[in-house]
Amino acid sequence: MGGKTKAIIAGLLIVAAVVYLIVTNTGSTAHYFLTVEEIQALGDQARGRNITVSGAVLGETIVYDPSIPRVTFTIVQVPGDPQEVERAGGLAAVLHAAVNDPTAPRLEVVYNDVRPDLLVNEAQAIIRGQLGEDGRFYADEVLLKCPSRYEEEIPAQAGP
Amino acid sequence: MLAEIGSILEGLALLTALYGALAAFWSIRRADPRWAASGRNAAYSAAALLGLALLALLAAFLSDQFQIAYVSQHSSRDLPLYLKISALWGGQEGSLLLWSFLQALFTALVLARPSEHARPLVPWATVLLSVITVFFTAVTLFLSNPFALLSAVPADGQGLNPLLRHPGMIFHPPLMYLGYVMLAAPFAFAMAALLTRRVEDWPSIARRWTLTAWLFLGLGLLLGARWAYDVLGWGGYWGWDPVENAGLMPWLTATALLHGAVMQDERRGFRLWNVLLAVFSFLLVLFGTFTTRSGMIQSVHAFARSNMGPYFLAFMSLTLVFSFALMIRYRRLLASPVAVDSFLTRDGMFLLTLLVFATITVSVLVGSLLPTITEAVGGRRFEAGPAWFDRVTGPQFAALTLFLGVCPLLGRAAAAFKRLRGRLLPALVGAVLLPVVAALAGFTNPLSLIGFAFAGLAAGTALTEWALDAVARSRHGETGLLVALGALLSRNRRKYGGYVVHLGVILIVLGLIGTRMAPFETQRVLDAGEAVGVGDYVLVLEETGREAAGDHLSTWALLSVYRNGQYLTTLRPRIEQYPTFFDQTVAVPALHPALRHDLYVVLASVSGDGSSVTVKVFVNPLASFLWLGGLVFLSGGVMALWPSAHQALPAPQARRRALLNSLGLAAVLLLLAAAALAMWGPGHGEVNRPAGRPLVGQPAPDFTLTLLDGSTLTLSELRGQVAVVNFWASWCPPCEDELPDLQQTWSAYQGRGVTFVGVVFRDEESAVRDFVARFSLTYPIGLDVDGRIAERYGITGVPETFVVDASGNVAAIHIGPVTAEQLVGELEGVVGR
Repeated sequence: MGGKTKAIIAGLLIVAAVVYLIVTNTGSTAHYFLTVEEIQALGDQARGRNITVSGAVLGETIVYDPSIPRVTFTIVQVPGDPQEVERAGGLAAVLHAAVNDPTAPRLEVVYNDVRPDLLVNEAQAIIRGQLGEDGRFYADEVLLKCPSRYEEEIPAQAGP
Repeated sequence: MLAEIGSILEGLALLTALYGALAAFWSIRRADPRWAASGRNAAYSAAALLGLALLALLAAFLSDQFQIAYVSQHSSRDLPLYLKISALWGGQEGSLLLWSFLQALFTALVLARPSEHARPLVPWATVLLSVITVFFTAVTLFLSNPFALLSAVPADGQGLNPLLRHPGMIFHPPLMYLGYVMLAAPFAFAMAALLTRRVEDWPSIARRWTLTAWLFLGLGLLLGARWAYDVLGWGGYWGWDPVENAGLMPWLTATALLHGAVMQDERRGFRLWNVLLAVFSFLLVLFGTFTTRSGMIQSVHAFARSNMGPYFLAFMSLTLVFSFALMIRYRRLLASPVAVDSFLTRDGMFLLTLLVFATITVSVLVGSLLPTITEAVGGRRFEAGPAWFDRVTGPQFAALTLFLGVCPLLGRAAAAFKRLRGRLLPALVGAVLLPVVAALAGFTNPLSLIGFAFAGLAAGTALTEWALDAVARSRHGETGLLVALGALLSRNRRKYGGYVVHLGVILIVLGLIGTRMAPFETQRVLDAGEAVGVGDYVLVLEETGREAAGDHLSTWALLSVYRNGQYLTTLRPRIEQYPTFFDQTVAVPALHPALRHDLYVVLASVSGDGSSVTVKVFVNPLASFLWLGGLVFLSGGVMALWPSAHQALPAPQARRRALLNSLGLAAVLLLLAAAALAMWGPGHGEVNRPAGRPLVGQPAPDFTLTLLDGSTLTLSELRGQVAVVNFWASWCPPCEDELPDLQQTWSAYQGRGVTFVGVVFRDEESAVRDFVARFSLTYPIGLDVDGRIAERYGITGVPETFVVDASGNVAAIHIGPVTAEQLVGELEGVVGR
């Protein structure tokens, strides 16, 4: 076997191994990107897998128990597609409209951690976690942005 | 006024750079050096004009020109000077202006003094670099102008985001931009090499720029990681965020390019690889800018959405089409004259290394774009979290570490087993020793032990290689071993600088294995005075407080930390609240760094009365190795970058060169020192105290006290008796309250194997005698004249009381006044046991 053939075979083996890593990890550890509405529509099917959900924080629902610590709050449906958000007048407008719409789909979130600083009314929450048996969303990680407050986003990480 | 001047300067710079590109192009078509000189002058002028524009923006910041939108959004009247300067690049518009300026400045630098080798490539490189300057200047001027005005002038600006007020964040952005800008050089030289059909040695011509770019990006990434660790308070330093990835990807391809350049230099091979790597390094820079500013990728630290996306996309497509068209047109030039005939050779290892750097870059790219890709492929959006990235790239980084260890064992030709002699044994010793040490230190995960084995192998071969060379040299030149080692460093800087870089990489790998595979995290509620165990540590909440500090409110907690029963340190994590900046809060972590693991404590909340706090505690194994390795790594890079001595030059020139070199070296060392300071600098929320209070159950510190009657009392001589040690002073009102209770309890327990000792803290003997008479105190009392006893007991105030049992261990601690009832309860528990 010539050097070139060997080189190609070894290269292909490495590439195949990397493709395998990417595909299997996308199946197992990657997070399924869903909106609140899609989670509600999937119901039981959404259970038992890693999900990332994004929504508007409903300020009046935030309950914090520092002794555990645990924070629970409700998020409201916002569109998942950035272009749709743009058409609706930008993120700030979409978030504002969402929390003032009593008919929009909602999801209760349980986060066993300290209350993040930016968890306030109309913040955009990007939440990674799993849907529980009780229909509540159990968060591993909560990322928050408050577009109405800053022109530019800065890191506001809680977790992982 | 400044705004108009700034915009005009930007416009002039744009026109000048455009002219420069055209003039350089014309000089090539006409083969006319006068046009080339004109183009070069235009490039200098563009850099000068953009420099002046940047100064105009600086002047606007310094004179609080809040009618300029950018200034009002990133500064305020009370912002300190250095932050006003760093606010220049605190947002998108200013950072793009800085980028344009650096791009123009760098273009001017490349043109200023080209080496003899580079000269034929310079005209085309001028065209390409000027076009890049034109693009960035145009984007700044038309799409994101920092001099845009507000319709109404606000009285004060919004101020700089408190999260960005950190030395890491002041240096991180300019370093990244410098790196990005310089990665245009290998691209421009590669393209110029194709256009002039001189593809042999462009990598070595561009090497200094590639290496400098790589060094700046590396330092930028390191400072960014340190900033995240110090400021963001989530216990980590790298979250695989798309913005972080955008900086990592070009650095990975630049690393690969540096390796490919060595091979092209030594073996005339890897030509196609090198051109591809130069093209993709530059494309990834554009891609990073595109993703972070276009709103395409959801990221917590992306810039605001802007309308720049399509323009960046168009420029990227243009670059891609242009460079691939050239590569196809001149494909015959890119065929490598040597073929790799086996992987068990140095050439083969280099090829595998380049391949794996490429697959890591592609993996990171796929991960960053996973939502878009999966939606296009299957209609469902999947998002890659940190676990995805760790698992996909982890094995690939492990493979690179393995290659690093194996490569020096291999020779040029296959089956050159001669090299193995003297090298195999130390390599295997390293591969066995490191995992064994790690296992003894408590690392049990088999995957992490494999990682340690790879790192040990790499360390073993690297050190052996160095030692063998030094021994050979010292024999050859009959010099001492150390002298030979130093001589190696100064003679073949590229090779040995590379070795130092690899040693840094090995240290970083240790840090990565520790922090990513065995981190420990927990949350605890602490009540004042209560000892709470966290892993090997015990934390005791001493006190909490709240104070105004400049423009913010600071709420802090003082925590004593014990390890294996011994006092270790006192940590002071705090929460800063900025009423002037949208009431934003910043949890500033406290950090006790140590070689084995960092203890990292974040204050999450404080109860209303301040008697209880919630903290997040992270134990990060081997985290120090990341920063230590980072510095070693950067030093190696500087060493490799450093030009070798030029013996051929005549004496005065050589002397001038030597002087310049030493000045440059001093500057670089200063930079490294500044980086080190930013990383380990003064205080990460640690408070220096000689000792902490002994923990309950631990031996009470021994002391000898001279009593008021002149006799002495030694605690250890009371063994077999219970002792109540009370620290007090006559100037302390709460002490007055408890003295009757102490006397009463003493009277009740006297003769039942209990001794009371009053240790008087910072007081006058006459005042103490007055008190003894007034309260009829009959138990032994003495003055702790120099405060040593109080120090050893770690008391933070008076009164404090320690109950010591018959075997000399602390049984109870009271901070603040104690009552007879409490004392009786505790004494009943220990007396007669």
